[in-house]
Amino acid sequence: MSASRDIVESGPARIGTRAAPARPRFAWLNSSKGLGLVLIMPALLLVIAFFLAPVILTGVFAFTNMSTATGITGGAYQISPGALRVLTDRYGMGELAERLGQPTYVVDEQGLAALAEMEIDQDIIDGLKRRLGETFSSRRDFERVIRDLPTRPNTRTVKRISDAFSRSLANARFASAGALMSAAEAIDPELTDDEKAALREATYTGWSWTTDNFRRLITSPQTMRILFNTIFFVAATLLIFNTGFAMLLAIATHYIPDRPAGIFRIIWFLPRISPAVIYVLLWKWLAWDTGFLSAFLDNFGIRPRNWMLDSAFNAWVFVILINGFVGASMGMLIFASAIKAIPQSLFHAASVDGAYRWQQIRHIILPHLKWPILFVTCYQTLSLLTSIEQTLLSTDGGPGGATEIWSLAIYHTALNNYAGNLQYGYGAAMALVLVVIGIVLSLLYLRLFNYRALIIKPRIEH
Amino acid sequence: MRILLDKFSKSFGAVKVIEDMTLEIKDGEMLALLGPSGCGKSTTLFAICGIHKVTGGRIYFGDRDMTDLPSQERNVGVVFQSYALYPHMNVAENIAFPLRIRNLPGAEIKRLVDEMADLVHIGNLLDRRPAELSGGQQQRVALARALVRRPNVLLLDEPLANLDAKLRLEMRSEIRRIQLETGITAILVTHDQVEAMSMCDRIAIMNAGQIIQIATPKEMYRNPRTTFVAGFLGNPPIAFVEAEARDGMLAVKNADIRLPVPPDAVTPPDGTPVIIGIRPENLGPEGDAIIRGRVSFIETQGRENLYDIKLENGSVLRSIQRVRDDISLDDEVEWRVRSDRLFVFAENGERL
Repeated sequence: MSASRDIVESGPARIGTRAAPARPRFAWLNSSKGLGLVLIMPALLLVIAFFLAPVILTGVFAFTNMSTATGITGGAYQISPGALRVLTDRYGMGELAERLGQPTYVVDEQGLAALAEMEIDQDIIDGLKRRLGETFSSRRDFERVIRDLPTRPNTRTVKRISDAFSRSLANARFASAGALMSAAEAIDPELTDDEKAALREATYTGWSWTTDNFRRLITSPQTMRILFNTIFFVAATLLIFNTGFAMLLAIATHYIPDRPAGIFRIIWFLPRISPAVIYVLLWKWLAWDTGFLSAFLDNFGIRPRNWMLDSAFNAWVFVILINGFVGASMGMLIFASAIKAIPQSLFHAASVDGAYRWQQIRHIILPHLKWPILFVTCYQTLSLLTSIEQTLLSTDGGPGGATEIWSLAIYHTALNNYAGNLQYGYGAAMALVLVVIGIVLSLLYLRLFNYRALIIKPRIEH
Repeated sequence: MRILLDKFSKSFGAVKVIEDMTLEIKDGEMLALLGPSGCGKSTTLFAICGIHKVTGGRIYFGDRDMTDLPSQERNVGVVFQSYALYPHMNVAENIAFPLRIRNLPGAEIKRLVDEMADLVHIGNLLDRRPAELSGGQQQRVALARALVRRPNVLLLDEPLANLDAKLRLEMRSEIRRIQLETGITAILVTHDQVEAMSMCDRIAIMNAGQIIQIATPKEMYRNPRTTFVAGFLGNPPIAFVEAEARDGMLAVKNADIRLPVPPDAVTPPDGTPVIIGIRPENLGPEGDAIIRGRVSFIETQGRENLYDIKLENGSVLRSIQRVRDDISLDDEVEWRVRSDRLFVFAENGERL
C-alpha cells in the first residue's frame, strides 16, 4: 500500500530513478513483477516438487534396469549360474563360463597350509610344493599327480588333498570389480580385455544405465496387447459414456422441467463425488457370485458366478461401465451448461421455422456443442489414459490380463509385481511413454483450441 | 390471410395475462399491437405463432382452427427482437433453414433464397455469418428468413428495439415496403407509438391484457377512446387538466379558464368532474378559447419549440410552435386553443 502511494507522490518523473538510494533493498517487491514472483512461489515449488521432479525422475529411471533384484543403490559382482548363462548367451563366451563354473585345482600356498593343518605327511606337502603354481582343470589329472608322488597316499587321502586345492569361482561374491578380476586371473591368467569387460557386466548385481527397457517395450508382444487394450478402453469409454451418454443426459435434461432435471443431474453426479473405493465396492457387490446379479438371476435358474471376472467380455463391460459413469457427469455438466447458454429465442425460431425436437437437436444443439464436445473429448482422453483406480479396484486387469491397460500395467510392473521382482526401470520406461503421449496430445489440443480460431473476426459495415 | 383471435385467454400459473381477447387482422393488413411493457402484447404474438399454448379461446388462420397445432405446422414467420439468427450458419443457410426443414429440393431453395435476399437487399452478404453483420443487416436476414416460406402471417416482435436511432428510421420504412410488396398479413408488436403509427394500417392498443381501442393511426390520434390512448399516442405527449362542467362550459379547476364543450362530445350535467386533454399542437396563437399561464420551460427542438405553460392551479400544458423570439421564460402568455380539437374524458378516463 505504502509503495503505491510512494509512486503517486513522486510522480511519473521519478519512475526512471527507481534504483536511487532512497529505495531500500526490497524495492523489487514493489514492482508487480517482483511481488507476483513471490506470490506464485509456493505454487511453483509445489509444481516442481510434485510434478516436475517425479516426471524427471521417471525419465531417469526409465534408462536404468532397476528392479527389486538390483536394488536402487549399488551392487556387487557375483558369478551366479545366472551370470554365467548371461556370459554364454549374450556374450558368446561359453567356454569362459564353463571354466569359471567348473572347479579348478591350483597348487598354492593356501592349499599347502591347509594340508599342514590336516596333518598330512610332510613328504607329500614337500612333493606338492615342488609343483607350486601349477593348475589342473580336471580332478582326475590332479589326483593322478598326487598318486604319482613317491609316498603314494591312499585313495581317501588323495581325495582330501585334492579337495584342499579345489578353487572354484561359482557363486563367489566380490565387493569390487578389482577383486573379481584378480580372482578370475588366478584361474585363467590369459583373460582378454573383452572377456574381462563381459565378465564384469555379466556378474554385476546392481543397476546400470541401459536403453534395453525401450527395446524390450517395442519387441514385447505384451506391449501390443496392453496398447490395444488401452486404446479400446479409452475409445469405448469416451465414445459411449464421456461424450455419448453425457450428451444424451444433457439433451434429455434440457427438455424436462428445471427441478426434475436438477435432481436427475445430481444423481448422475454421485459416481463422481463418491469415494472410488466405495463406488467400486458397490459394483463388485453387484457382480459377486453371491451378489445382487447372481442372487437375482438365480431365480431364473442361471448359475451364480462372478459376473465381473467371468469372461473377458464381461470384464470389459464392467470396466467401461464403472469408468464411464464416473466420466459421464463431467460431460453432462459441460454440455448442459452449453445448451443452457443457447438463447431460448433460437429454439423458438427453430420451432416456427418448422423444426421438430430432433431437428432442433440436429441443427441447433449439436452445432453449438462442437467446442464442448471437442474439449470433453480431449480432456477425457488424457484423464482416461492415466486413470487407474477404478480398473485396479474392480478387475485389477483380469481375467488373465484381459483388461490390463497401460497405467495399470505400469503399476503392475513397477510397484505390484506378482512374481515379486518389481521392475522399476521398465515400469518407469512405460510411464515415460505415457507422459510423452500425454504431452504430445496436450500440445496438439492446445493448438486445436487456439483462441484466435475460436473467435470470429467481426467485419461490421453500417 | 385473415387472422382471428376468438376470446383468447392466456395465464402463466395463477397469473392471468390475457383474458377473453378478441382481435381480427384482415388479409394483407399490417396491424400494430401497441402497449407498455407487460401489457401482454408479446404473449399474444407468441400465442399466434404457437410457442405458447393458449389457456382459452380459439385462434383461426383464415377458416382453419390453429389453436391446437404446434408452431411447426402453423407456417408463421417471426422476426424476434434479438433476431435469433443461427450463429453457426451463414446468411444463405439461415434464410434457407425453413425450406431445408421442409426438404425442398436444393435448386428450389437456392432460387427462393436469392429472390428473398434481393427483396431485402442483402444479396451481397449471403456468405457472411450473423456475427459479421451489423444490426440492420441482421434485421434484414431475419426478415428474409421469416418471409422465405411464404408464411400465413408475419409476426414482428419489437423488431427495431435493438437498432440505433438512424437505422431504426431506415428499417421502419424498409419493413413497411417489404410488407406492402409481399402483401403479407403482418402483426407488429411494439411499445413505440411512432413505429406503430408510421408502419401500420391499424393499431390495437393494449393495456393490462386488454385491447383498449383498435383504429387506424389517424383515427386513433384524432379520436382516442380513453385518456390512456390519448396519452400513449403523440410526441410530445398530450397534457391533461382537471375541470368541471358548469353552465354548459368546462371550467378548469382553481383557475379562471373556461373552455367550450367540443362539438362531438355530449355536454355533461353541471358539477360533473371531467378531464380535458389538449395536444401541444392545438395550443398556440390561434383558436377560439383563451388559456392564460406563465411560460415555465422552453425546449428547443430545432424547427419548433416546445413551451410548457403553468396555469394558476399549478397544472402544466404543453404547446409546440414554430420557433419564435418574442417569448421567453417566465413570460405571462395568453394563448388560444381550438375547442373542436379538445378531448373531454370522464373521471374514469372514458371519452365523453
